[in-house]
Amino acid sequence: MDEYPPELARLPPGRHGLPREFVAHNQRERLIAGIAEAIAENGYSGTTIAHITRAAAVSRRTFYEHFPSKDDCFVAAYEAVMAELQERVSEAFDAEDEWPEAIKAGIAAMLDFLASEPNLARLCMVEALVAGPVVVERYDAAIQSFVPYFREGREGRSPEVLSRLSPTTEEALVGGMVSLISRRIIAGKTAKLRELLPDLVEFTLTPYLGSAAASKVAKQS
Amino acid sequence: MTQRVTQVRRPRPGQHALPREFIAQHQRARIVAALAEETVDKGYRAVTVADVVRRAGIARNTFYENFSSKEDCFLAAYEFAVEEAMRRVVEAGSELESWPARVNAGLAAFLSYVASEPALAHTCVVEALSAGPAAVERRERSIQEFVPLFRLGRKVSPQGENLPPTLEEQIVGGLFWILYQRIVSGKVEEIESLRPELVEFALSPYIGSEAAKRSAAEAPAAPTAG
Repeated sequence: MDEYPPELARLPPGRHGLPREFVAHNQRERLIAGIAEAIAENGYSGTTIAHITRAAAVSRRTFYEHFPSKDDCFVAAYEAVMAELQERVSEAFDAEDEWPEAIKAGIAAMLDFLASEPNLARLCMVEALVAGPVVVERYDAAIQSFVPYFREGREGRSPEVLSRLSPTTEEALVGGMVSLISRRIIAGKTAKLRELLPDLVEFTLTPYLGSAAASKVAKQS
Repeated sequence: MTQRVTQVRRPRPGQHALPREFIAQHQRARIVAALAEETVDKGYRAVTVADVVRRAGIARNTFYENFSSKEDCFLAAYEFAVEEAMRRVVEAGSELESWPARVNAGLAAFLSYVASEPALAHTCVVEALSAGPAAVERRERSIQEFVPLFRLGRKVSPQGENLPPTLEEQIVGGLFWILYQRIVSGKVEEIESLRPELVEFALSPYIGSEAAKRSAAEAPAAPTAG
C-alpha cells in the first residue's frame, strides 16, 4: 500500500506528549481523513458530523473548533486530496524528458494514486460532483489544471499538426479522461483503474502524434 | 414533440375541452419546464415543490399526481431532455449514407437543441451534479447512451477494433465536458459555433485528423422537415 499522504495520516490513539499546535494540526488532518471515510460509507448527503467525528476519533467540539460545517470540512478534504494528486502528477511528469512519456507517467501517477486510495478517489472524483455547489468551482479549476500538461504537446509540432488542433482540444481530452475515470469509480472498479492507462495514453496523444505513434507509446511497458 | 419545453403555456381558463391524456402530458411538460426554470434561477438544492407549483401555475395536488417528489420530477426532466436530444440526433443523420456526415449532422442537431433549451440544458448538464446520487448516476448513464452512435465509426476506421476499447466513452465524456464548461461559464450561445472543432475531435480517432477536418468543414445536412 502507498503511504498515506501526510495531511491524511492518522494520529495513533491514546495519550501522547505532543506539542499543542501539532495536535491541533493533526486533529484537522484526522478530520479530513475521517470525512473521506465517512463519505465512502454513507455518501455525501448521508454523512453527518457524528459520522465524521467517529471516523476521526475526535469529539464533536473538536470538529467545530476546526470547521464551522460539514461543507467546510469537505472543502478542506477536497483541497488536500487534489493538492496531493496534483503533486504526484507533476512529479511524475517532470521526471520524464520526452513529452509523450511525461504524459504517460503523469496519467499513470494519477491512476495509481486513485487506485491505491479508493476513499479519496471517490471523494475527489465522484462525491465532489454530488456535493455540488460546495466545491463545484474548485472541481472545475482542478480539472482545468491538467490542461497545460497537454498544451505543452503543441511545442515543436509542425504547422500542419498545429493547424489540426483546435482551441478546445486539450479541454476535451482532459474532460474525456476524467469522465472515464469517474465512471469507473462509480461502477466500483477503482482498484482496476490502472488498466485504463493504455487507452488514456493513446486517446490523449493521438491528436499530437498521430494514431500509430500514440498507440506505440501507449503499449510500451 | 418538438415544442420548446420552456414555452409550453398554461391553457386559458375554460379551454379544457381537451382529451384527458393530452392534458396529462401537457401538465407533465409544464411542470418539468417550471422545474428547469426554477433550477436555473436558484440552483437545484434551493428549489422547493412550492416554487415549481407556483411557476407552473398548477395546484400542489397536480404536482403530486404526476411526480412523487422534487427528485422524481428532476429525473423526469432529465429523461425528457435525453430522449428529445437523442431523437433529434438520430433523425438528423437518418438519411445520410456516410458515418462522418451523420456525426456532423447529429452533433449540429444536438448543439442546436442545447442552445434552444438553455434552462433544460443547464439543469441536466450542470445541476444534475448536485441533485443527488440518482441524478449523477442518470447523467453517467446518459453519456453511455451516446456511445453506440460513435462506435459505428469503427466500421469505417482502418484501425477498426484495434482502437482502444474505451475510445467512445472518452469522446462522449470530452464532448460533455466542453458543453459543461460553456454552460457553467454562461456561454451557451457559443455552443453552436463550436460544432466544427467538436466534430473534428470526435472523428479524428477513426478517420484521421485530415479527413476529420474536411468533414467538419462541411455544412451539416439540415434535418428533414417534420
